[in-house]
This record gives sequence, C-alpha cells and structure tokens, in this order.
Amino acid sequence: MKTTIATLAATTLLTGMAFAGEHGGKMTIGITQNNVGVDSYQTTYEKAFIAAAEANEMVEAVVLDAGGDVARQIAQMEDLIQQEVDAIIIWPTNGEAVIPAVRKAKQADIPVIVTNSNIAEQGAEFVASFSGPDNITQGSRSAEIMCDKFKEMGIDGEAQVVHITGQPGYTTAIERAKGFEDRLPEVCPDVTVIDTQPGDWNREKSQKVMEAFLVKYDDIDGVYAGDDNMGVGALNAAKAAGREGIIFVGATNFAVGYEAMERGEYWGSIYQSPVDDAEAALQTAIDVLEGKDVPALNYFDTPKITQDNMGDFTKPVF
Amino acid sequence: MSGLTKQNIGSFLARQGILVAFALFMIGFTLANGRFLDPDNVMGVVRSSAILGVMALGVTFVVISGNLDLSVGSMMSFSTIVVLDLHDKIGPTLAIPAMFALTLCLGALIGFLVGYLKLNSLIVTLGMLSAIHGLTLTWSGGKNMDIADKEATWFGIFGQGEIIGIPVPILIFALLASVLGLILAKTPFGRKVYAVGGNGTAATFSGIRRARVVFSCYLMSSFCVATAGLIQASRSMGSQNTVGQGLELEVLAAVILGGASLLGGSGTIFKTVIGVLILGFIQNGLLLVGLQFYVQYVVTWVIIILAVWLDIAAKRGKLWSPIA
Amino acid sequence: MKPGTLSTFLKRGAIWGFIALELIFFTVAGEFLSVSDKAFMDVDNMLLLFKQSAPIGIIAMGMTIIMVNGNIDLSVGAIYAFCAVILLDSMTWPIFAGLGDAVIPVSWILALAVGTALGALNGLIVWKTGVDAFIVTLGSMLGYRGLVFMYNGEQPTSHLNWTLVDFAEQQFLGLHTATWFLLIVTAVIWFLMNRTVHGRNAYAIGDNRAAAVNAGIRVGPHMMVNFMIIGFLAALSAVVFYSESGSVNPNDGELYELWVITAVVLGGTKLTGGAGSIISTFGGVLAIQLLRKGLAHIGADTETVNLVIGLILIAVLFLDRQLNLKGKEELKV
Repeated sequence: MKTTIATLAATTLLTGMAFAGEHGGKMTIGITQNNVGVDSYQTTYEKAFIAAAEANEMVEAVVLDAGGDVARQIAQMEDLIQQEVDAIIIWPTNGEAVIPAVRKAKQADIPVIVTNSNIAEQGAEFVASFSGPDNITQGSRSAEIMCDKFKEMGIDGEAQVVHITGQPGYTTAIERAKGFEDRLPEVCPDVTVIDTQPGDWNREKSQKVMEAFLVKYDDIDGVYAGDDNMGVGALNAAKAAGREGIIFVGATNFAVGYEAMERGEYWGSIYQSPVDDAEAALQTAIDVLEGKDVPALNYFDTPKITQDNMGDFTKPVF
Repeated sequence: MSGLTKQNIGSFLARQGILVAFALFMIGFTLANGRFLDPDNVMGVVRSSAILGVMALGVTFVVISGNLDLSVGSMMSFSTIVVLDLHDKIGPTLAIPAMFALTLCLGALIGFLVGYLKLNSLIVTLGMLSAIHGLTLTWSGGKNMDIADKEATWFGIFGQGEIIGIPVPILIFALLASVLGLILAKTPFGRKVYAVGGNGTAATFSGIRRARVVFSCYLMSSFCVATAGLIQASRSMGSQNTVGQGLELEVLAAVILGGASLLGGSGTIFKTVIGVLILGFIQNGLLLVGLQFYVQYVVTWVIIILAVWLDIAAKRGKLWSPIA
Repeated sequence: MKPGTLSTFLKRGAIWGFIALELIFFTVAGEFLSVSDKAFMDVDNMLLLFKQSAPIGIIAMGMTIIMVNGNIDLSVGAIYAFCAVILLDSMTWPIFAGLGDAVIPVSWILALAVGTALGALNGLIVWKTGVDAFIVTLGSMLGYRGLVFMYNGEQPTSHLNWTLVDFAEQQFLGLHTATWFLLIVTAVIWFLMNRTVHGRNAYAIGDNRAAAVNAGIRVGPHMMVNFMIIGFLAALSAVVFYSESGSVNPNDGELYELWVITAVVLGGTKLTGGAGSIISTFGGVLAIQLLRKGLAHIGADTETVNLVIGLILIAVLFLDRQLNLKGKEELKV
C-alpha cells in the first residue's frame, strides 16, 4: 500500500509539473455530481462548490450533475476528458461502475479526485486522491453515541436496535453500516440489531421502512439511520404510531435532525458540513494540480453531536 | 336462487374477479399471520394507502375519458413542496388555497394540451413529468422544505389528526371517494366522461363537447393530486423534492386493478378504491409474513394480468383471445 | 410529386432540422457560455455523441417495431437491468470457472437469451390473453423489476473484467464498440422493416388490424416475435453498456422505457401504430442525447434541464401534429 501511495504521489507530482509547464494561467476543473436536488446536502454542496470556485480566480469550474444515473455520469466523464479539463472531481453514483471511466481519465493524464463517497478498492490505483468524510469512523461513532445512551438509561443489557441504511451499493452507505455494525458489539455486546433495511437516503422511503418495523416488532429501543434525513423519516413514523422512548441516532446532521434534537425527540448524530466537503474537494484538486503532496485519503473531521453538546455547534444550513 | 347455474357462478367470478381475489388474499394473509386483521393494522394500511388512493380517484376520471396521466407523481411533489414553502411565508390559511390554485393551473395546462389541442396524453404527461420536476427544483432551489415551527401550527391535522378515532387522511379519502363516485355515477357530467372515453367521435356527434370534458377530467385529477400533496405535507411537515417520484405507475396499477380499461369508457370509483386497498393490503400482508417489499412487485404483476384477463374474458365469453 | 410526398418529407426531415438547430444553437451559445475551449462540434465530441446514444438507441429500434404494430413495451428498463445482472453474475458462476476469459461470450449469449425469453413471455401473454400490451408490460415492468431485486436483494451486482472493459472501450475506424453495435442494429432493423415480409406485415397490422387478419397475417405470432426482438435488443443494450462499467444497481434502467418512447415519438412514430421509420427514430435518439450534452455544455443546471426536456417534448408533439394536418389538407387538393 505504501508503494502505491508513493507512486501516486510521484504521478501527481509529475502531472502537477506538467500542468505548470503547459498552462501558466487558469486551471479548469470539472465536477460530476451524483444527484443534485434529491436532498439538501447535495444542493448545498453544489452551491458551496460553485461559490468556492468563483472566489478563486485561478479556477474555472465545469459543474455537471448525473441525476443519479450511472450511464449519464459515465457520459459526463467522457465529455470532461474530451474537453481536456485539467482535473476531474467525481461524486460517484455507483462506487464500482465508474471505475473504467476513472481509468480512462487517468490514461488521458487527467487526475481524478473522488469526493464525498469513495469508489471501490479496485479503482484506488486510478485516483489521485479521495476527499470526504471518514465514513467507517462515522459509523463507529454513531454506535458509541447509541451505546453510551443505552448505558445511561440502563438498558444496555437487552436493548434492540433496527438499522436503516443508505442506498445499497453506495460506498458511504456500506462504510457507515460496517462501522456501526463492527463497533456496536465491541462497546455494547448485549445490544442486538434485529433488522436492517435500506432507506435509500430518502425520508419517505425511510418512513415506510420504519412503519413496517413498527408493525413487525413490539420492542424497539433504538434506531440507527445512515443519515438524519432518514432518521427523521423514521422518527415521524414512530410519532405517528405513538411509540415513545426510542433512541434515534443518525449521521450527517441535517437541519431537521438538529431541530428534532432541540425538541428532545432525536438523540444524536454526526456533524458533517457539505460546505467543508465541497471546499475540501476543490482544494484537493488544486493541490494536486499544483503538484503538492496530497494523501490518498484526505478526510475532514466529522465530530459527534448529541442533545448534550449540540450547543457547541451552529444549526446546519441544509 | 334458481338463477344460480354453474355458468352464472362462473361469469360472476370472472366479472367480480377482483373482489374474489381480494377476499382470497385477505383470508390467506389472515391465516398466515393473526395480526393481519388486527384493527390497528387495518387502520394503518388504509391510512398509508390514502395518499395513493386520493390520487387514483382523479386518475380514474382521466382513464375513463380515454387518456393517461403520468404526471401525477411529479405534480404531487410540486404541491407538497409549494404548500410547505408557503406555509412559513404566508401562513397555512393562505398557503393551502394558493397551492391548490397553482396545482390546478398545471392540471388546466395539461387539460388544454390534451383536450383542446388534442395532443397525445401519454407524451404530454410524460413531458410534464419532467417539466414539473424542473419547476419544483426551481421553486425549492433543490433544498428540502421543512416547516420551521412544527409545534405551533394546526397544519398537521390533515395528515396526523384524528376525528372520532379515525385518522383524517382516511376521512378525506372516504369523503372524496363518495363525492367523486356520485359525480361519476349519477350526474350528466359523469355520463359524458363515459361517453367521451367509450367512443370519442360518437360523443362529439351527440353534442358533447369532448375537449371540455377531457379538460375537466385533468382539472379533477390535479385537484386530487393537490389534496394528496396536502396530506403528505401535513403528515411529515417537511419533504424532499422527489417525494412523489414513481407514484404515477403505482396509481395506474391501482386503477387498472380496479378494472378501468385503458381504452377508456369503463371503470368505477368504487372499484378503484378496491384496487388501492388490494395494493396496500398485499404490501402489508407480505411484510407481515416476512417477505421483502419487492416480492410485492411480482405478486402485483401476476394479479394485474389475471384480473384484467378474467375481466375481458368474461366480456367476450371466451378465456383465450381470438387473436390468430 | 405524389400527394403526401411533401408532408412525408417534412415529417421525416423535421427531426433532422431539429438536430441541425440544436447543433447551431449549442455551438453559438457554447462560445459565450461554455468554460471549455473546445468547440461543441468537435469530432471527438460527435463520436462520443453516437457512443452515448447507444444504450437508449439500441432499445429504441425495437420499440419502433412494437409501436408500428400499435403496441407499446414499458418493461424494457426492467429487462435491461435483469440482463445486466445475468451478464455480470454469470461470469462468476462455478460451472464456468474453467473457462477463463472464454466465459465472456458465454455470459453474453446467456444474457441475450434471457432478454429474448422475457420478451417472449410478454408477447405470449399479449397474444394468448388479448390483454392490451400497455397493461401487460406495465405489469411485467413491475414483475421483472421484482425479479431483479429478488436475485441479489438491494445490493449491486458487480464483476469487473478488464479484458471485457478493454474490448468495450475499443475504437475501430474511429468509432467506439458501442457505436458499432448501434449502427449494426439500426441497419438490421431497417432492413427488416423495409425489405422483408415481416416488416410489411408490421405496418399492415398497425394500420388496420382487421384488414391484416383478413389478408391472412397471423397477428399473434407476429407480435410475439416483435416482443422477442425488443427483449433481445434490451439485453443487447445491457450487454454493450455493462461490459464497459461492470456493476449494476437493481434500480438501473428505471425510466429508460420513457426515454426510449420519447426518442421514438420524436422520430415521428405514431402511438396508434401503422407509421414510423427506423432512420427517423435514429434521429430522435440523437436529438435527445444532443439536447442533454448541449445543455451540459452551456452549463445549464438540473432544474433547467428537466424543464427544457419536458417542454421540448410537448412542443415537438405539437409541431408534428401541425405538419400532419398540412399533409392531410394537401391530400384533399
């Protein structure tokens, strides 16, 4: 692994120098996003990205949206390669299907930065850097938040948890689920995860999934959702069914999640800003182009937030 | 009871196949899981079917008049987002009529294109599916819409309230179904809808203004969509831009299950309600016996084909089609 | 000039006029709005246009036959996804373990066979029950999608085979592999529709089914063959696309049926059957992809793309009807 990173650093250095030689002026950076408009996080990310690109006079940005369709995203990668942009940032719709397209960019000597959700292992060698949250850590932090609360309530010996995951096949969803499911038995060995279903990052879908869980199980003590949008959907289902005392823990703290925490209905989450996410991605691309040494995995920090410490955080804007 | 010959029973079974299938499903699921017929569960199924059901009522009119409406899901997202946004800007009392007015405008536009310009309804509503989605994103700026202060508003009543122990969405669904059912079955307008769908040209010659009837059907459909959007918005007090995505096909499936012919001219509100309930109970029943949601797709496929097949087989008096 | 020739020419020409308009508009607008230094009508960009049109385009050729028949097939997106799952999954089946890269053609054939079979099932139901194709395929659109999910739950099915990817990324005489498939399919279906008895029958059935029956055409088997063709083409589309990407999500291909139908209608095929041309469908496919590409080129955002695509669809339908009316008036003179 070390050699790969070293080679990566070397190649990025090379492309960086090549870039400095060829241009001398502006750098053109293309981005193909997953599905803008499907939720607030992605929309805020896009706005922040455009703002950051406009603020930097060295950068021209080509901003594209794949609309969640992997075929369209691959076409956009091809278009960006054909337009000979200096670097491409990709927010993958499918962590595996885009790998050949990423390889194509690499073969055309265009460095690719993956943002927000990483592509699968096999693609790592074609990527200049990944910029985004550490989702495995996020998952394990959520497990800790939930376990601590159960201990405080004294039910960590028998609590039952249901788990609503993000969109299947999406690396963020897989990693968060893995982080949570690996960590929970370590900190709370007697808590059981009784069921897991995908909520596709969608509040309404998650609400339906939770309605089904409530029909199926009489005793649910905790819900872990892959993001707050789904967490709030599950909360709405529980409220409608009049089931109280369930501990909700999410990730990617949305404004709705923050508000639900203020009302005391929602216990905790992970604080992650789309503005940080977008700016980090752009900065990583610029660093790569300037030939700086960029780590292969470039994480930004995402702390725990619960009802106890939420005063330390401002309300998310999305 | 002397008329109950074997043939009559057969033809009854075929004609009311959908009711028979419904009864069989209910019995099967009840035997498989005791909780299925639990009043709480039944109430839950009807409540969560109400949004789909309200939309299906409007689409029933459109389908009987011989057209299609694929834009209802996209339009429902629009209504939901608009009413949530306006709620915080101008208050619920004004937001609700404003949202209804805007949604009816969309319905009027479709009605104009299909009714007066005589454009093909499949393509028009397909185009509107995409265009309205664009409109919704423009309105919301792509952000989720949430009511800021969820405690201080009475807006939740349409989706979460109860009157004499019955959830309000069920009451709205029932009320709308009765009113629209009466309009369709008992008024001159209802007869015109059947006439236009059954044979458009004949209807024109008999003095019915086809364009106006089609226009009214789409207006009716958009009214139902607005109502569904209101229930949805009130239920969750916040929403994504894609809340209604894909609902158009579920709605169509429910209407077809209810026996409305896509060629127009047949179908009733009562049967559509049955179609909606079948979909809802199948989903819930499969869940209770521990099957995944996608098994429901396969089951729906089989019963749609069987229901429609038996229906037309009864009409033509032969099981197999006469196609050479 | 025979009566109607002008209108036919106008109708056939309309889509190409629209494409020319798009090219001019995006080239000019691109000069002002695009960040890229490259012209929109760059050769490489146009080559990509063909390649990117392939997934929808291949299916659209089959849909044209179906719609000329007066039927419709809403299940193509689900067939596409199911065949992709079969393609990628079968490469890892233990029974093929000894084959090495020779598993690739085996998996292709398997996927194509499954697609043809699913199409045949649709066709058989339409034939034997007499239920309208819209309802039959609306049902199987749900049913086949259910099968996709049952195969692998909600997880994606993945198998990245670099030999396969390299083949799919080949360019022969400048054209990508996917483009070749699109062109060959277009040529074959054109031949089928214009030079064979089957093609003549397809138009005859769509034009007047009763007359076709009287003329001794066996309508049922004919329609079933057409459903097998579109099933095969949906599978071929999946084979072409997923050979290059190597991973399929269970909801891939959703809404494809709608884009395919849009392309066919843009090409002037009537939903009521009896009329339609393969070459114009090809134009319709290019027009849609060009619109997407062009809007991205000038930096339009998501909401504008949705709005414009929807409205253009309705506008083209309106124009098409006006042109048809003109044709009828001419016939009277």
